[in-house]
Amino acid sequence: MLSVHDLTRCFGSATALDHVSFDVRPGRITGFVGGNGAGKTTTMRIMVGVLAATAGDVRWDGSPLTAEWRRSFGYMPEERGLYPKMRVLDQLVFFGRIHGMTSSAAARRATGLLDRLGLTERRDDVLETLSLGNQQRVQIAAALVHHPSALVLDEPFSGLDPLAVDAMVELLRDEITPEMPVLFSSHQLELVERLSDDLVILSSGRVVVSGAVEALRRRERDRFRVRLAPGADTGVFHRIDETPELAADGSAVVSLGEASPEDVLARLVREAPVAEFARESRPLAEIYREAVR
Amino acid sequence: MTNTAAPSWVKVVAEREIRTRVRDKSFLAATAVTLLIIIGLLVAGVIIGSRSDDFDVAVGPGVAPGTADLAGQVLVANGSPDAEINARSYDSASAVERAVRDGDVDAGLVVEEGRHTIVGDDSIDVALQAALTGAIGESVLQDNAATADVDLDALRSGTAPEVRLLDPNADQSDARSGVAFAFVITFFITALSFGMTIAQSVVQEKESRVVEILAAAVPIRSLLWGKILGNTVLALGQVLLIGLVGVLGLVATGQRELLAGVGWSMLAYVGFFVLGFLTLACLWSVAGALAGRQEDLQSTTLPGQLILMVPYFIAVLGGDQVRTIFSMLPIVSTMIMPGRLAEGSVPWWQLAVAVGATVLAAVVFVRVGTRLYERTLLRTGGKLSYRQALTVADA
Repeated sequence: MLSVHDLTRCFGSATALDHVSFDVRPGRITGFVGGNGAGKTTTMRIMVGVLAATAGDVRWDGSPLTAEWRRSFGYMPEERGLYPKMRVLDQLVFFGRIHGMTSSAAARRATGLLDRLGLTERRDDVLETLSLGNQQRVQIAAALVHHPSALVLDEPFSGLDPLAVDAMVELLRDEITPEMPVLFSSHQLELVERLSDDLVILSSGRVVVSGAVEALRRRERDRFRVRLAPGADTGVFHRIDETPELAADGSAVVSLGEASPEDVLARLVREAPVAEFARESRPLAEIYREAVR
Repeated sequence: MTNTAAPSWVKVVAEREIRTRVRDKSFLAATAVTLLIIIGLLVAGVIIGSRSDDFDVAVGPGVAPGTADLAGQVLVANGSPDAEINARSYDSASAVERAVRDGDVDAGLVVEEGRHTIVGDDSIDVALQAALTGAIGESVLQDNAATADVDLDALRSGTAPEVRLLDPNADQSDARSGVAFAFVITFFITALSFGMTIAQSVVQEKESRVVEILAAAVPIRSLLWGKILGNTVLALGQVLLIGLVGVLGLVATGQRELLAGVGWSMLAYVGFFVLGFLTLACLWSVAGALAGRQEDLQSTTLPGQLILMVPYFIAVLGGDQVRTIFSMLPIVSTMIMPGRLAEGSVPWWQLAVAVGATVLAAVVFVRVGTRLYERTLLRTGGKLSYRQALTVADA
């Protein structure tokens, strides 16, 4: 398990990270969310060792991370970074080799990754001649080429169209081993919701939420969406919950309080024709807004 | 991780530097042009050397016979062993003048109103004029002596001084100075162009942010050494290529004797070159790390340029004493010491001081340079000054 432990980082008098701690569990994808300037990139740069922490450390299975182990991570920086004038395949082979692969092993692996990303025909092209989307695919391949022990991806999906995101997500899912922790940051909450097993929300340099996505969604009391048959009396909502959230389409979201769902449904059916009764998951956006408020 | 063995980062990084450069068409073109210039200079030297010693002289009526031959002997005696003067006879003074004006001959000799006159178009070769003047003087003197019944040999006894040159290589001294200058200019150009290459390569990695991935995977020190090693190999390769062409050129133009004289100074040059280049390479890397963009290089590489430029002018313009002192200073020694070796013998202690000082400077430059590079490479947001780099805390 990869853990960030009590991490603090100051730039001059400004505190960018304030005692940040969280875990990135192996074999799962952890989404890393926060507003601009919340400290996501700073955290990730410290995790991969290109920035020093003012205090605190990064740990692997509870022990401080060694430089050797850290170098086996796969890293995709926020501002990207490849050689613009180098050929795509040469580039990936180079990144494989600086991670200790032999030329032939690196070439085999790079060829395979390019194939999976649909870039086989471009492998001898100079990187800067590729579209930005394709350059980003090469970037993810550069992070994966050496079979990394962990992945730290800073905004890996920004600027990609939905199909490209799907292709990249599919590749990531294939590459993740049960031992591999994966941390990725994103502004796209819908994407984080779809992809993440775990979630860390950072606000002004502090962790405000962290945990499994499912658990976070269910942390609050159960809420249900109720829709009645057209023309039915909606007064019943107020008899179940004093402050129902009424929607424009006539449905409502009600909190059940101490009552069980089956009791409430039975009562509803007695009083009005019920067309829909469904557990309402809280969208991540809502959790996020509440957390960073 | 697929491999457990420690990767040879320096080698991989150096290989990338070399591969990138060798594939770069502008680099190949520049190397080819340099070699062509050297070949051109050698060929031009041969042509000029062979041409300047042969003169055609138009001889008009009344000129004492044998004057041109005598002038030829004077030329040889004055230090042009291959010199030759071909006399061509013309019927009249005006025919001689026409030949001179048309460029058929280098000069003409006529007798006007009993006096010998040397005729030239717009100028006369200095050596030729001196030889003709001497020859005419001699033949007239002999005529006059015969007329006055004077024993010319007795009169002349003891008037000609002996000439003895102290430099044992005096006959090659110009050529050796040429070799010394070639050493200076080659290091100046190579060190400057490869130095700029190192700085550019560093700033490119900063600009494209690839340095972020590199720094996560490789110790920054290895990155620096890979870069320096790669470029040193390239620079040395280019110098050896230039040297090879130069040596082949000297052999081809029949100057084996000169080659034998300067051969070992060429070996010394290679040694000094590596030391001098390594010393500066760290400075160039730091210049790249300080810059945020390519445009910043102009100012951050200034110290490196000055360190090369100042000794260049000293080497070219300085007097013997100044050159002796500077030939023992680090970096400067690369430009001057091999040249001094080519020109003559150098006391061994001066050589030792030069090598020692350069090694010491290399150690200091590399130490300081590595620290500055490590501190500044990952900094973003504009250019840093050397002063800032020395005072900022580690990232």
